[in-house]
Amino acid sequence: MTEVLLLGRRATREIIRYPEATIPTLFIPLFFLVVNIGQVSKTFPSTTPFLKGQGYVAFQLPVSLMFAVATATSGLALVTEIDLGYFDKLLVAPIRRSSIIFGRLTADLVRGIATSALVLLVGIALGARIQTGVAGALVIVLLSAMFGVAYAGFGLLVALRTRNVQATQSSFLLFFPLLFLTPNFVPFDRLSPLMETLARINPVSYVIVGLRSLVINGWVLGQLAVAVLVIVGLGLVLTGLSLRVIATYDR
Amino acid sequence: MNHDAPNAAIAARALRRTFKGGIEAVRDIDLTVSAGEVFGFLGPNGAGKTTTVRMLCTLLPPTAGSATVAGLDVVKDAAAVRRRIGVALQEIGLDPVQTGRELLELQCGLYGITGERARERAEALLELVGLTEAATRRTKTYSGGMKRRLDLASALVHSPDVLFLDEPTTGLDPASRLTIWDEVRRINDGGSTVFLTTQYLEEADKLCDRLAIIDNGQIVAEGTPEQLKAEMGHDVVSLSVNGDHATATETALAGLAGLERVMVEPGGIALYVEDGAGSIAEIVRRLEREQIPTGPISVAAPALNDVFLKATGRRLEGQESAQQSAEAST
Repeated sequence: MTEVLLLGRRATREIIRYPEATIPTLFIPLFFLVVNIGQVSKTFPSTTPFLKGQGYVAFQLPVSLMFAVATATSGLALVTEIDLGYFDKLLVAPIRRSSIIFGRLTADLVRGIATSALVLLVGIALGARIQTGVAGALVIVLLSAMFGVAYAGFGLLVALRTRNVQATQSSFLLFFPLLFLTPNFVPFDRLSPLMETLARINPVSYVIVGLRSLVINGWVLGQLAVAVLVIVGLGLVLTGLSLRVIATYDR
Repeated sequence: MNHDAPNAAIAARALRRTFKGGIEAVRDIDLTVSAGEVFGFLGPNGAGKTTTVRMLCTLLPPTAGSATVAGLDVVKDAAAVRRRIGVALQEIGLDPVQTGRELLELQCGLYGITGERARERAEALLELVGLTEAATRRTKTYSGGMKRRLDLASALVHSPDVLFLDEPTTGLDPASRLTIWDEVRRINDGGSTVFLTTQYLEEADKLCDRLAIIDNGQIVAEGTPEQLKAEMGHDVVSLSVNGDHATATETALAGLAGLERVMVEPGGIALYVEDGAGSIAEIVRRLEREQIPTGPISVAAPALNDVFLKATGRRLEGQESAQQSAEAST
């Protein structure tokens, strides 16, 4: 446990000292938030049924939160470390290899909380009201950060498997199917049949729906539970795979 | 597994590593390093030095054979081995965004040294490697020599029984090289066994109690530097002869009394003879008779260079340039 905290603290320090890695990841969510709202707010005025009296910003906010936390930053940090040789130093130390992964994920949690809190505040400044209040806002930030942690496992996996910076960099491409084949602009029932089918089989859709319910509808426990299940499931699968790869690294 | 030398700090038996594609990086090497020794592993790039170190450090499993470090099997007791060894690999493993002090304190923590003890240990090591002043700077601002020294310090946090140094001075200027040598000697005086790889003959000669020459994945010579040189037996007469005359020179010298071996190299010919000084007159006479022009002639006792040449059939690559750079800056 001490090892995880030590490595987590180090990885967090890295985020603070290397803001160039985090700031660009905030550009996409904030850009989309402002541009999407500007473009469609006339099409979807607050009288639109699925907005429940709120502006379109409330509907878009959860999507921007997902954009903000779904990054390959940890994977890139890890692959850089492999490249520089510091990773070997960690492997040769008498620590559990899993703590290298958990250390990175600790930093993802910290970064996820910071970036999603920031995006949430921007959303509120743009007029979104959180139906579930302060408690709901905290849950939104926490769930977003947890999704970021779960998603980070993918970058770590690619970093460990390929040991290649370019491959790890391009792993962010997964982001497009996962975050755009969802009810990101309109609810499921307003999508074309093909898109609706794809969105319904994409588990990330349910994370967006769950977060959105906290913003627009109030405490809808069923939707929230599904979102949590998806996040935990995704996290278990991707982290589990990363742990397996690091355990047999160079075997 | 028990090897035949119970007190050995390192023992390898028929250690082999074959990489994907059938590349045999290390072929069945046997090694025994006694506790307290500075053991040198000398060889050119690609000889298998790093692969051997990585196997001994538990970073790479052997394809076949076995090895123990501090009496523990590197495969079966890998976790226990890691607690007893310190490692500074060829690629300096430093985290660029941390300061020297942070890096050492983290390293302490990974070896179970925390809190005030970690701070004290880090401070002592910074002092040891002369980085106290740079302790609060991020390591990316360090020079090559400073990085090496910090990396060395980070391998020492837990006072390891066995220290592995993979080419600890490659790429360093001569002054930094001497600093590292001093530190290695001090570490060894403190009781650690040191296993170091090098491609510098001078380093092997000056620093190591014993050494092995590895070439093409196999150990081709092993012993103390003095033993190895003594095995060469006799004197080396170096002739500066134009390459065009190499064959003629060999012919002219055929049958020379006490001549054991002729090595043709770029820029000259090395003659291994029983009595160097006594043979010079006859050598010059024969060359003049054949009208072979020759430049300076020198006689010397065999150096490690000659040992390497005899064992591998060639000079160690890059040796000249390393020595030249050493001479240029002294």
